[in-house]
Amino acid sequence: MSVALLLLVAGAGVIVGIFAALFGVGGGLLMVPFIVLALDKGQHLAEGTSLLAMIATAIVGALAHARRGYVDWTSAGVAGVAGIAGAIAGAVVALGTPGEVLRRLFGGVLVVVGLRLILSSRVARNREGSAPSS
Amino acid sequence: MTWRYRAPVSKRRVLELALIGLVAGISSGLFGIGGGTVIVPLLVWRLGFEQHRAHATSLAAIVLIAVAGSATFATDGEIDLEIALALALGGVIGAPLGARVMAGLDADRLKAAFGVLVFIVGAGLVIR
Repeated sequence: MSVALLLLVAGAGVIVGIFAALFGVGGGLLMVPFIVLALDKGQHLAEGTSLLAMIATAIVGALAHARRGYVDWTSAGVAGVAGIAGAIAGAVVALGTPGEVLRRLFGGVLVVVGLRLILSSRVARNREGSAPSS
Repeated sequence: MTWRYRAPVSKRRVLELALIGLVAGISSGLFGIGGGTVIVPLLVWRLGFEQHRAHATSLAAIVLIAVAGSATFATDGEIDLEIALALALGGVIGAPLGARVMAGLDADRLKAAFGVLVFIVGAGLVIR
């Protein structure tokens, strides 16, 4: 990969990192489509690479929040350990699914997630201060 | 440890956390996402987490999930180290910026903008 392209990728990483810390998402929602659409790679490679990059961004994001006392380490540990089993199972299923099918499915999920983010932000605005109950 | 947040641990709470982690892990491994979009709303809805705490705790859980998921993809050679390093480097610079913004800002409008971005990108993947 050329230096210019690597810089572009790193620049995209900065934007992903900001969103990741802001919304508690690991950044995969943006990294996977970036790798597929902008770097023209396959869906499987994009997913594996996104997860790999996410290790670093999630650590730094979590530590930044931890400094302000926002991380509940016990809960994160329990969810994370259970998540390890789920992640392995999910990845095995993904690797057994054709890339194009996986890509369309993922795109559909993003459309739904995007809509939910838009709707929930409006709900939050109307309920000023109270936690959204759904 | 001063940064340790109190956690009343009941059996039911542990079970719910494990279920949340499992579901997040599966969606994470399946789609290469961190699982935060699953963990955050569930922590808020099921366990009464306040939004900031849910985000922060979700990120910590994602570390473990991302390690397991990427290792599984790596067994099939489906990772690109160069791209991952470049993205991670950028992300490491961006993440603290995001956290700083979040600490002092109502992120609601940004959230809506993020939603629009995710929606458009998703549509792009479907019709590509």
